Amino acid sequence: MKWNVWFGEVVEEDGKLIAKKSSDLVESFKNASNPEALPFNLPEVGLQVFESLEDYYRTLRKIAIKVTSEKVEKELKREDRYVILLLKALDKLNESINMLEEKLRDIEEVKISETTEDFRERIEELKRLRRRIEKEIEDVITKIAPNLTEIAGAVIAARLLEKAGSLERLAFLPASKIQILGAEKSLYKALARMRRGKPAKTPKHGIIFIHPFIRTLPKRKRGRMARFMAAKLAIAAKLDYFKGELDESLAESVRKKYEELRREKDKPKKEESKQERREEKQKKKKKKPKHR
Amino acid sequence: MKEIIHNVYIIEREGKEILVTKSKYGSHYGERKIGEFREWIPSRSKLAAMILKGHVIDIKPDWKVLYLGAASGTTVSHLADIVDEGIIYAVEYSAKPFVKFLQLAEERRNIIPLLEDASTPWKYNGIVEKVDFVYQDIAQKNQIEIFFANIDMFLKDGGEGVIMVKARSIDSTAEPEVVFDRVVKELGEKLEVVAHGSLEPFHKDHIYVHVRKTK
Repeated sequence: MKWNVWFGEVVEEDGKLIAKKSSDLVESFKNASNPEALPFNLPEVGLQVFESLEDYYRTLRKIAIKVTSEKVEKELKREDRYVILLLKALDKLNESINMLEEKLRDIEEVKISETTEDFRERIEELKRLRRRIEKEIEDVITKIAPNLTEIAGAVIAARLLEKAGSLERLAFLPASKIQILGAEKSLYKALARMRRGKPAKTPKHGIIFIHPFIRTLPKRKRGRMARFMAAKLAIAAKLDYFKGELDESLAESVRKKYEELRREKDKPKKEESKQERREEKQKKKKKKPKHR
Repeated sequence: MKEIIHNVYIIEREGKEILVTKSKYGSHYGERKIGEFREWIPSRSKLAAMILKGHVIDIKPDWKVLYLGAASGTTVSHLADIVDEGIIYAVEYSAKPFVKFLQLAEERRNIIPLLEDASTPWKYNGIVEKVDFVYQDIAQKNQIEIFFANIDMFLKDGGEGVIMVKARSIDSTAEPEVVFDRVVKELGEKLEVVAHGSLEPFHKDHIYVHVRKTK
């Protein structure tokens, strides 16, 4: 018989139990599984290879803390999956709340009753659930992707994660891809037009458009801001995935770039300002310009 | 001041009686430190609630303990004060609360942390030794099964076990009393049920069951 124990192996030879110490205690600790209860008491047999019980426990504790810390760190990285699933559920929940509220309004126009009051209460409950999910997403994303969150905020960081599929995949995306994540439809439309030899513009921004630093800039500057931010987000994703510690200088550089671009507005080139005025006019006509 | 078991006292503070453990260490989860004592808050720890409800298990300082569902270590920190010459093997499945737990494990010399699923005890079978006491606080549907599996593998004959049962995590639709009756009966089929009782008002719809492994 042979048993896998945290310090190596225990084998039975001629009715005697013999402990063998592993050269790699971390490895043997990880493999210390046995299907049946051990027919001996571990520390007693362990004394064959440890100086004393004190030595036995001191070593065991040291290895356990080391292995567990590593495992915890690895597990926490898997929390990206959790955020993505929560975000998907949140989208469905939003749809449901809107739909239910609409139905309720229809009913209430006809008659207000105990049933409609109950109905409203249930919707309020769903809204509370929504807030809880939002809070949880924020908590987890701040923890697993502190750099992305610092630059883009919890909502955009979580959306980027969702679009990429995992923190690992996001960490390996080029900045140019991060810049247009969420605008795939218009990108491929533009590419298809180009292939047919027609003029087309590729999108400037996807999800990151909702960031105030991009949204609040005039149209002609958004592309530059989006490109810069995407570059920093690409670095942030790598930092978050491989290191997990916050580097405040990243978000700071994004803020600086924004201030820079915003100030530039004060002394626009003549040509550009003309173009901008034209754009403003179009905006007023269309009222709701498409961003993609 | 009254000593209940090793390193566990009831002391008077501002006219109120409070449960404390004697500890060389600082506060772990925001509990008050009163001299050499740490306040053991019953609404935070079910083991403290059980003791205040009048059921005391004479935990010896040199006991080996298997603790299932260690979470961030609120209860474990006090148990570690009690078994100051023993060892606690603390199992927890979820990584997030275990970050905080690891701080405790680094500080105390008698805690072995294990990030494992308590429902697969064979995975840590070559690490955990035979213990005197199995304590379980896990909110899972198959918690009784988990308790049995761990007791089979690790509890010494004659050893003690305590399981904290939350009615809703076993059956959210049935009346708590019905669930509790069923649980106590199920435990009694394989183990000697020493005592059981409610943890109200500290924990709603929870009971403790104290069992012993007698062959």
